[in-house]
Amino acid sequence: MASHHESIIREPLVTGENITYAKVTDDILKPVENMPNKAWWIGFTVASLGALLWVFAVSWTFWYGIGSWGLNKTVGWAWDITGFVWWVGIGHAGTLISAILLLFRQNWRNSINRSAEAMTIFAVICAASYIVCHMGRPWMAVYSLPLPNQYGSLWVNFNSPLIWDVFAISTYFSVSLLFWYTGLLPDLATIRDRATGIRRRIYSIASFGWTGSLKTWQRFETVCLILAGVSTPLVLSVHTIVSMDFATSLEPGWHTTIFPPYFVAGAIFSGFAMVQTLLLVVRKVLGLENYITMFHIEAMNKIILVTGSIVGVAYLTEFFIAYYSGGEYEQYTFLNRFIGPYWWAGCMMYGCNVLMTQLMWFKKIRTNIHVSWVLSIVVNIGMWFERFVIIVTSLHRDFIPSSWAMFYPTWIDVSIFIGSIGLFFTMFLLFIRVLPSIAMAEVKLLLKSSSEQAKKKLMAEGHLEPQQVEFYKESLTKFDSVELADYKK
Amino acid sequence: MDSNKKYWKGLEELNNEPEFVEKNKHEFAEPIPIEDVLTGGGLAGKTPRRDFLKALGFGVGAVTLAACQKVPVHKSIPYLIKPEEITPGVANYYVSTYDGHAILVKTREGRPIKIEGNPNDLFSKGGLSAQAQASVLDLYDYNRFNNPLLDGTDSSWPEIDAFVKLELAVIKAANKKIRLVTSSINSPSTLAVIADFIAQFPTTKHITYDAVSYTGIIQANQNSFGKAVIPHYHFEKADVIVSFGADFLGTWISPDEFSTQWVQNRNSKSLASKKMSRHIQFETGMSLTGSNADSRVLIKPSEEGPALVNLYNAITGTTLPGSKPLANVNADKAVKLVAAELKAAKGKALVVSGSNDVAKQILVNAINAQLGSYGTTIDLDNYSNQYKGNDAEFVEFVAEVERGEVDAVFFLNANPVYEYYKGAEFAEALKKVRLRVNFAGSKDETSVHSNVVAPANYYLESWGDSNPIEGYYTIIQPAINPVYDTRQAEQSLLNWSDSTTKDYYTYVRNNWDKNLLAKGGLSGLKGWETLLQTGFVKVADKPASNYSFSKDLNGVAQTILVQSSKYAAPAGSYEIQLYQSVALRDGKRANNPWLQEMPDPVSKVTWDNFAAMSPTDIRNAGYVQGDVITIAVDGQKTVTLPILAQPGQTQGTISIAVGYGRTEVGPVGLGAGKNVYPLQIAENGTFQNSTVAKITPTGDQIILAQTQTHHSIEGRNVIRETTLKDFVKDPTSNSGGSLKHKEYETLWDDYDHPQYNWVMAIDLNACTGCGACVVACSAENNIPVVGRDEVRRRREMHWIRIDRYYSFNDGGKSVTEEKEIQDLKDLDNVSVVYQPMLCQHCDHAPCETVCPVLATVHSSEGLNHMAYNRCIGTRYCANNCPYKVRRFNWFNYWNDSRFDNYLINEHTHLVLNPDVTTRFRGVMEKCSMCIQRIQAGKLKAKIEKRPVADGDIKTACQQTCPTNAIVFGNRNDKNSEVAKLLDSERTYYVLEELNVQPGIGYQVKVRNTVETEA
Repeated sequence: MASHHESIIREPLVTGENITYAKVTDDILKPVENMPNKAWWIGFTVASLGALLWVFAVSWTFWYGIGSWGLNKTVGWAWDITGFVWWVGIGHAGTLISAILLLFRQNWRNSINRSAEAMTIFAVICAASYIVCHMGRPWMAVYSLPLPNQYGSLWVNFNSPLIWDVFAISTYFSVSLLFWYTGLLPDLATIRDRATGIRRRIYSIASFGWTGSLKTWQRFETVCLILAGVSTPLVLSVHTIVSMDFATSLEPGWHTTIFPPYFVAGAIFSGFAMVQTLLLVVRKVLGLENYITMFHIEAMNKIILVTGSIVGVAYLTEFFIAYYSGGEYEQYTFLNRFIGPYWWAGCMMYGCNVLMTQLMWFKKIRTNIHVSWVLSIVVNIGMWFERFVIIVTSLHRDFIPSSWAMFYPTWIDVSIFIGSIGLFFTMFLLFIRVLPSIAMAEVKLLLKSSSEQAKKKLMAEGHLEPQQVEFYKESLTKFDSVELADYKK
Repeated sequence: MDSNKKYWKGLEELNNEPEFVEKNKHEFAEPIPIEDVLTGGGLAGKTPRRDFLKALGFGVGAVTLAACQKVPVHKSIPYLIKPEEITPGVANYYVSTYDGHAILVKTREGRPIKIEGNPNDLFSKGGLSAQAQASVLDLYDYNRFNNPLLDGTDSSWPEIDAFVKLELAVIKAANKKIRLVTSSINSPSTLAVIADFIAQFPTTKHITYDAVSYTGIIQANQNSFGKAVIPHYHFEKADVIVSFGADFLGTWISPDEFSTQWVQNRNSKSLASKKMSRHIQFETGMSLTGSNADSRVLIKPSEEGPALVNLYNAITGTTLPGSKPLANVNADKAVKLVAAELKAAKGKALVVSGSNDVAKQILVNAINAQLGSYGTTIDLDNYSNQYKGNDAEFVEFVAEVERGEVDAVFFLNANPVYEYYKGAEFAEALKKVRLRVNFAGSKDETSVHSNVVAPANYYLESWGDSNPIEGYYTIIQPAINPVYDTRQAEQSLLNWSDSTTKDYYTYVRNNWDKNLLAKGGLSGLKGWETLLQTGFVKVADKPASNYSFSKDLNGVAQTILVQSSKYAAPAGSYEIQLYQSVALRDGKRANNPWLQEMPDPVSKVTWDNFAAMSPTDIRNAGYVQGDVITIAVDGQKTVTLPILAQPGQTQGTISIAVGYGRTEVGPVGLGAGKNVYPLQIAENGTFQNSTVAKITPTGDQIILAQTQTHHSIEGRNVIRETTLKDFVKDPTSNSGGSLKHKEYETLWDDYDHPQYNWVMAIDLNACTGCGACVVACSAENNIPVVGRDEVRRRREMHWIRIDRYYSFNDGGKSVTEEKEIQDLKDLDNVSVVYQPMLCQHCDHAPCETVCPVLATVHSSEGLNHMAYNRCIGTRYCANNCPYKVRRFNWFNYWNDSRFDNYLINEHTHLVLNPDVTTRFRGVMEKCSMCIQRIQAGKLKAKIEKRPVADGDIKTACQQTCPTNAIVFGNRNDKNSEVAKLLDSERTYYVLEELNVQPGIGYQVKVRNTVETEA
């Protein structure tokens, strides 16, 4: 946030010539202030069809009952909780970027935090919808809240991890929403100032009367820091608690103490993959290459590599502990992931999450936009299968062999999942139409210190060590948004 | 002190300006536009805020009132004069009889809702089969005939009576033949009515036959000892039992009774004295009995005869002409070893055969006589009347019909068009009969070919009696008025024969007064009333005498061996064996959804029959389970059925259950399986159940609806078994040491169980896996039937299930893991074990901790409760249950039209137990240990001001179990039966190492195996 001097060795966070404050605003607000282009309409049509499918399939479930899914007496959770954990995990990158990276003063987060936080909120909405949908009697969902009632001291069960979940997810959602909206205030004011008519009134209300005074900015920064402090534990706690949905049970394959760190790493892993999936498209379609640069892409790929490797280590640990524990049920469960009838799901999980992400060790690969995008999708698929394997492959063959059964999804299961993706994208596409997808105010902070033109100016002044300059120029070769010819002279 | 201060609100008031004075003249500063509104001008003008609010208030109020629909009024009228015996909420029990068993009919507010065994029943002492348990549902089957039919159209009783009497008069005048075709009748009163009818119409002949015939035994006894009866077997007196294909625990003659007898030498009491009978089964398909045998020898149907011949030879040391060693080396060896064992147990041995062949049964009689079984394990003096069919008479009757000699035929409890192996031809011939009267209670294959359907009352609506065993007379009394416009068959016969006794109740009364009450030392009205409370009279047993066998066996052996070679399958063909399934038996109750959904004990298949083949044959022929094959006998009689891989099926054979494939039946039975009665053969004067066929694949595939699809225990100690030898050496053998159970460090606080701690003990050695408990539980706890498709999705709702595991013997080693089984060459050496599995009511229940809303909680009596109203259906409890006994209501079964076909409708709502709520969709349910019975028992004790005594409270599963394998009670009472059982050395707890502290202890299964064999 605060502008400060940095070594020229650092790569630029904003590229391009003649980037002024006004240009930043113009560039970023292009989709907000203009009619949407064809690509948006196509995307929105597809996404909203998906959302309609979701509405239909969820209504069907509510009307006929959970029996319209493929679950059975042995496998009580499958695509529902797989989808829930998957979406919650995806949400995690947003909080990490907005909170932890802010506290660590990682300025590169400034260009991606807005979209990532929006993504968090939409993903948590999808996840929460799964919680309600999967209930046998969703109209009684209110029972899961510790509300006063006429039964005397009838509380919820504070021993149940599902109750922890209710608290964790609702806290997470409200804090994320608050943080996101607070960050939006100066940008909303910017839109307000440029808008006319009804739009001006709406944005005026939405910006809470932002004046841009020094005092406002100071308070804004303070609130952001406080909220960052509040959210930081959430990054760890939410998925820890989600993992306890499994870890506190006695189901072999669930009953594992490594789950909290393993799930948190996995969540960040999948969250960054989803950010990557979205932003690689957004920067292209909305022409934001100068603000979301190769530096960002590579940085995110590095995080994916690290968290993917942590997840890989967790997988190995699980196998080792299963072997070392001597527990026959646990041993069988882990063996069953490879030799059981769901071996293909296990292969998807280990292959996509561990093997494929190891490719990121190669700079060529992590700086290649197309490969990065494909890999981010691979990670998303792999993480879905991770949850499927943990839930279904563990449940379908546990203690008593007479109850072993297979799970086959119905078209309702599939529709709700595909529909939830549609719902997510519908919300995301509406978001980029009405709100700036990059935090303008925060990017503007970077112009003086970390932009390409600032560094050019420094070089032109000629006070730098030649090796440093060489090194800097070298690092620019990977950027697709930098005119390398300028540096040849 | 007065104040003269003047306060003013504004300068206007102070100065009293003219405008102010003008304005203040009126109460309201501005005029109210009442006039405007009333004249309509107001509508055009600006609506004042108050008017808007008024309009809004009125509008909302009016809409609310308009939306208030009148609540539908259900008029329930209290008893004006309360019947003395009915107290709403309190059940009444009436004695009656089901299939010869003395029973109690539980009624609530006049509706029969459950059948219980009469604890004093001669046969199974309160135990009942699944069929008997399910029979109560059929009372409310709306597919029953609602009224009599004449030529297929609705009619009335006077019309029917007039028509039949006129016809009979004409037939009598012409002196034409009248035939009364029934299945076996052992009711003295019914037989008397028939005798009266015959007296009135002398050309009448009473033909008795049974769908599954026992003529072979009856005629063999006629031949051997001059008594055409089925003897009364006493398995409890036998130390060595050898059965040749007789499924006496499942379907043969009187299975509930035999189970009760059989277990007496195998239960805890017997094992406490280190004693256990030895049971060897020679059979083709895996029957319930075979699966419970200590040793099981696989033979083809064609090898049964030669095996019996060789057994006779080995026991007597003679050689019957034509006998030679069996080609089946295992069986040949086994026969010799078994002969030695039988001889050693002389006087305490019993050999039975399930065959309906007279010659084979004569040979069995000879063997038994040789072993001194008559007078000990076989009682020919107090013989059985349960089956009396005469196959030859029936065949002769069919011939008469085909020749057009019969003018009137009456069918009572008989459905020959379906059950007779040439049913289609018989149906054709039936057209030649002028008067065809059918007493069927609901539509069947024969009733559609009858011109008069005079539907009989259901047994729960009837008067009657039964004499299943000589000297044992039971009474049938109605527990409800006829639900539909039906009439007892006996009443119809009385009417048509112009009997002097006008109604059948009086007839039964008179018959008992005259002939039967005295047998129980009763007489008069008092005696009759006593009978209606005790249910039966029993004459003291005649002494069972020893019968010696003195007939020549050379001809018998000759017949057996000729037939054996005639029906030995040549290469490329299979020997077909037909059997009755434990659930459906002969198929008369095919429209009963509880029975259709009851998993077959061995195969765990529901809703269908199938071709059971050996896994080795399937592998060699390149089939997989579910492949549909065409089975063709002589290239003409064909049936298509899916294959089931049945471990323990003899190679080269196929076993198929009869009783399926009904075509004229209610919606439940329609489409369930295929009819294989046509594959029966008539040989040597009896109907027999084996033949030879060729099979060809049809290319179709069917997924059989099995409730269990994994069949091996994977080496887990969930099942623990030992051998008698090891058990005698060390009673704790393989139980894990009973005293150390449940002693683990724990993080949880223990619950206090100050007064009661309800627990259960289940003896794996006593459980035969028959499945009666499953149906009893469904009846008691209002468990919905979900149908074939939902069973395929693994969603059956049974609160208690019976797990069945196969293990394979490979060179003395027990192989239980799937991947090792796949590599086994020899899949014939199969052992089976059954394990009833229900909610274990864990003291540290994993389901309780994970429920977010406290819908499942622990009671101070050691029970794990479900509060349905609190459940929101997250299903976490089911996932976290290591026993997988929780059941989720996937649909709203009780109010979903898609489940109408399983008799879940307003008619069968009447069978629901009012003490148990039906569950709405989206909630979890599971075994409650019959909490309603516990409450009732505690209440009764409280009213009687005494503590609950051991045995006061019985769960539904326990009550119906013919072998008393399930014992329920209070663990806190050190002298209770259950506490003693749980303290026994054989006790172990399933998955006890998880420290969930289950409340149900299992007793290790003991096999009386001999090492040289098996």
